[in-house]
Amino acid sequence: MTSFKPTRRTLLKTGTAAAAFATLGPAFLRQAAAQDADLAPYKSAQIDWQQVSGETITVAVIPASYFENLITLAPQFKALTGIDVRFEKIPPAQIRQKSVIDLTSKTGTYATHAADPMYYALYVANKWVEPLDTYLNDKSLTDQAWFKFDDVIPAWRSANGINGKLYGMPYDGEVTIQVYRKDLYDAKGLKPADTLEAYMSNAAALNTPNDRIWGAALRGVAGAGQNMYIYPSIFREFGGDWMKGDKLTVNGPEAEAALAWYVDIMKKYAPTAAANWNWPDIADAFSQGTVASYIDAHSSASVINNPEKSKIIGKVAYARWPKGPSGKRTTSIWNWGFPINSALPEKKRKATWLFIQWATSAETQARTAHKFAGPTKRSGVNRTSIWKDPDYIKLMNGFGDNFVEATMGALQDDTDVDWRPRVPQWPAIGDTMATAIQSALSGQATIKAALDDAQRRIEPMMRG
Amino acid sequence: MATTAVTSAEIASEAPRSDFGRVLAQRERRFAAALLAPAFLALLATTTFPLLFLIYTSAFRMDLAMPFTNGFIGFENYQTLLADERFWTSLLVSLVYTGSTVALQVIVGLALALLVMDMKRGQGWFRIIAILPVVLSPAVVGMIWRTFMLAPEFGIVDYLAINAGLGSKNWLGDPTLAMVSVVAIHTWQWTPFAFMVLLASLASLPEDIYEAARLDRASAWQRFRRITLPLLRPAIVMVVIMRTMVALTAFAAIFTVTAGGPGTATEILNLYAYRKSFTELSIGYGSALAVALLIVTIIISGILFAMRRAK
Repeated sequence: MTSFKPTRRTLLKTGTAAAAFATLGPAFLRQAAAQDADLAPYKSAQIDWQQVSGETITVAVIPASYFENLITLAPQFKALTGIDVRFEKIPPAQIRQKSVIDLTSKTGTYATHAADPMYYALYVANKWVEPLDTYLNDKSLTDQAWFKFDDVIPAWRSANGINGKLYGMPYDGEVTIQVYRKDLYDAKGLKPADTLEAYMSNAAALNTPNDRIWGAALRGVAGAGQNMYIYPSIFREFGGDWMKGDKLTVNGPEAEAALAWYVDIMKKYAPTAAANWNWPDIADAFSQGTVASYIDAHSSASVINNPEKSKIIGKVAYARWPKGPSGKRTTSIWNWGFPINSALPEKKRKATWLFIQWATSAETQARTAHKFAGPTKRSGVNRTSIWKDPDYIKLMNGFGDNFVEATMGALQDDTDVDWRPRVPQWPAIGDTMATAIQSALSGQATIKAALDDAQRRIEPMMRG
Repeated sequence: MATTAVTSAEIASEAPRSDFGRVLAQRERRFAAALLAPAFLALLATTTFPLLFLIYTSAFRMDLAMPFTNGFIGFENYQTLLADERFWTSLLVSLVYTGSTVALQVIVGLALALLVMDMKRGQGWFRIIAILPVVLSPAVVGMIWRTFMLAPEFGIVDYLAINAGLGSKNWLGDPTLAMVSVVAIHTWQWTPFAFMVLLASLASLPEDIYEAARLDRASAWQRFRRITLPLLRPAIVMVVIMRTMVALTAFAAIFTVTAGGPGTATEILNLYAYRKSFTELSIGYGSALAVALLIVTIIISGILFAMRRAK
């Protein structure tokens, strides 16, 4: 045994040194990078940023550029507050399940996470997250004049509120808009559609599969955030109401008309494969020049303008959702927001709020968007003021004609907080509806049968 | 401690050989038990305990979306399940999926094995190439098929179908074609397993029986039916049992290719249990579905094992 000792000691020594270097080295460098000047805009807030210094919190986000940009700024947050943030990246498909499991078990693993606005009803029913007004109104925690809560885009705020109370602070969001090929539209003398009817006839005019151009594409794959992301807008535009009194209703004449429009356009003018497509597939097909128009999240603009892959840069323009027969436009009000996990001890909750306040402040939003040094810029900043900033507008208009106007118009006027049914049972309802929509699209069931069946399945979920 | 003292004493006093052996065996057993204990405990903790917990959970209403309704309900989840049309549909889909993939794997695997047995050269290469699909992750296989192979207008299979004059087909968007597609994908991935097992078995068949059969002027078909098949029977039954158990609980490939769609056309029971538990957050009912799947698997493999022993 003795003969091993020197070796082991050497090993231990080298190992410890290496480990210390690996953990402290980069941290030291990063700390050095956060200069005092960097922190000045934050220090002008009349709060003690250092009040819970020494805390460590874990934040779950999805692997997306808008969060990556935030992660690179984390050393500034550490220098400002003395709070360590550990980021965990979880793909969007799993983050909902992982956070629900964490919240149910009350382990407090994730102090906050990128939360789907449709889940707040569930979170609140279980008292898993904190109402944020407590933190917003606490003068020792928030400098209202500095944070300017009213500047946060109202549509996304309302999406993250239940009964008028806010539970998640929007960090990055999106609206649905029309994206179209202006060269193809111009060639046929077409205008972007103002109504769903006109959208259908535009699609018909442009649909030439023999030249490998299809008229339109909408999300077809089943899922609460997939086909059930697009269909609710159509349903609302056809005059549908999710809640009739106390009863959640998914069938009826408006629903049938809405689903018929969706199935019609998908079957006649979308590539057959679109029945199984989600937004990245649609954006890819559009960027390859095979789709003349689609309606989807405005954030897909960055994919279709990727200079390495896109063949249609400079040929893209945008418009708002076409109006439905009810005269309404209904866009998505979807965003990733940050709630506070109720299972945390008080100090950690404070630390989490300081993190949320920092991440969603106008300053950090600008630093992760047009002021970000890296190549990827965000198109979903949460501040009205930034959407009016000439530098940001210039950057965004690089995505194509009318991008900022269409997005801002949608954000301000086309939103509808009841776009999708906001009830705790949403995960089950969304999935059931998604399956019904797809069975109608694939011809497995008629439109009426699919909707009636969904209604039958949803009723017991609502009765409890 | 006392036993140890005695045994040492016995060893020291050179006890009769049989006694010595017995003691040694006993000590060995105890040593083996000590060695096994951690693994055994780990096994209990990771397999038996979750299984019991699953059965326990299935007796509760545990709905994360409506926590105020949660509580012990006994067999109610199972009553709901028996009346749930979607459960029966998914069970049927599971059985069709399992039956057709297993049959295809055995037939194609056996055909390939017979072909390869007759190959004079390149057998080794063929074996290496054939085994490749097995080592891929089912989720990756699913992604490859979904995006590169089966997408209408854009995929390779569709390109071949158009060139063969069949026209473009909506492989994953049509209920029947989607089922055919997922069966084809599973078969594509797992036939090599059947192929390897059957090939090994074929290689070990005694040549002299065939020699005798040839002298008796048995035709190739007769030799196959009367000699090869009966001798391969244990191997075939083994393949059927193993593949059936895996196919019944298949998940990843279907999940990535169709996620059970279109509608519920490819929703096998395992997928339905997953969706109930983790998408709809009805953990109790999802557990009951999982238990049902367990029971079905046990029954089917029980029947298969019985068939293996029979004759």
